[in-house]
Amino acid sequence: MTNAGIVQLSIFQFSLIYLLLIVVLAIMKKANVNQTKLLIVASVRMTVQLTLAGFVLTYIFENPSPLFTSLYLLTMTLFAIHRALSKNKWLNKSFKWAVALSLAGSGLIILAFFVIVVVRVDFFNPQYTIPLSGMIMGNAMTGVNLGLKSFKDNFSSQRKRVETLLNLGVKPKKILLPFSQNALETALLPTLNNMVGMGIISLPGMMTGQILSGTAPTTAILYQIAIMIAIATVVCLATFSTLNLGIRTLYNDRNQIEFLHEN
Amino acid sequence: MDIIKTKDLVFEDFIRYPDIYIKKGKVVFLVGSSGSGKSTLLKLFNATLSPSSGAIFYEGKNIDEIDTLKLRQEVLLVGQSVYLFDGSIKDNFNRFYSYREMNMPNEEEIKYFLSICQLDFPLETQTSILSGGEAQRLYTAIFLSFLPKVIMLDEPTSALDTQNAKSLLRDIIKLAKTKEMTVIVVSHDKNLSDEFAEDIIDIEGSKTI
Repeated sequence: MTNAGIVQLSIFQFSLIYLLLIVVLAIMKKANVNQTKLLIVASVRMTVQLTLAGFVLTYIFENPSPLFTSLYLLTMTLFAIHRALSKNKWLNKSFKWAVALSLAGSGLIILAFFVIVVVRVDFFNPQYTIPLSGMIMGNAMTGVNLGLKSFKDNFSSQRKRVETLLNLGVKPKKILLPFSQNALETALLPTLNNMVGMGIISLPGMMTGQILSGTAPTTAILYQIAIMIAIATVVCLATFSTLNLGIRTLYNDRNQIEFLHEN
Repeated sequence: MDIIKTKDLVFEDFIRYPDIYIKKGKVVFLVGSSGSGKSTLLKLFNATLSPSSGAIFYEGKNIDEIDTLKLRQEVLLVGQSVYLFDGSIKDNFNRFYSYREMNMPNEEEIKYFLSICQLDFPLETQTSILSGGEAQRLYTAIFLSFLPKVIMLDEPTSALDTQNAKSLLRDIIKLAKTKEMTVIVVSHDKNLSDEFAEDIIDIEGSKTI
């Protein structure tokens, strides 16, 4: 039962993998890790969500249309924005807009460059645009989250520094800049470290998938390198833009940092 | 002449201040029980906070019409949030002056400001080894070295014993007199206000609405 080089899994074969969860359950029980419920919920949710995604993607691939691709992109972008915002409840309204615009803008630009300029297929071709946008948006979201969290933590732990410099008559932008530089670095490091170990410590997910489905490894690495560069760029762009647009919302034209007294 | 005066000042609708007049070149103590809004008043003076109503005048001009950065540089608040950078005493002067985009004072001048604040350390001393009281005095020395027109000291002696507190204030006031600097002090220490205050403003009268 092969098709384009990959063994098609029957439902029976596939369900065997769930046996491994028994190992996890047993270890959890033995080690008193009380996360049995989470393990079950997580496994069920993953199964249901991916099954649904499978059906949706099958439908979209069989009926390719710019409308479906766009809807999928829109949903994914909104979901990424929603996740980033719900993890950073401290953001003011304008800062939230900064996050949304930065994620959507950077994600779409990098995706378009990848699909149109590098791969050179139609932007609405679901086979390329959908999986690539998932990787790009997901990583952009993680980067922005990390950047915002680092900015907030740093700011909160250095309130005295902010207050001192404000009292000295320093421009708020200049006071906040080191915090955003630091946050950008924090956001970028995991991606860069990931690139350093790539191919030695692990074969990355996308490449593994392509090889499993029969793609020549030499082609798979080209895609992998391309996506890693795209990811590093989108993380950098989205985080930079979020922080730069965002910190402007933290002070007013009286050079007051309202945020200082709120959080 | 009043360098700072206020009219019908209200903050966040719960602190209502009496009208305040601060004379140029004087040493003025702000007194009142804790929670009466003394520190808040200093932050209103340097416009890091805005009143909910009423007005503050600096040199006769409503501070709403003054560039807030320029105001803060002239009406300098030495707040209670002491912050020093890692590194030496000299590094700290360097960092703060570069934030203000000014050339840092030379070593002689730095030593002079340290001595006013009762500090006798080599400039290479790391700030991490300073005690709380020493850090607070270094912080004050750095602010003082900018020679503002008004210096506002919020509990400047909170980490000092009475003797040291008196020497510190005496020397700061001596400097202020030669530079025609107005000094506003918030302090709980009655010994200090008795000895140094040329004017005492009691904001106890400020009502919590």
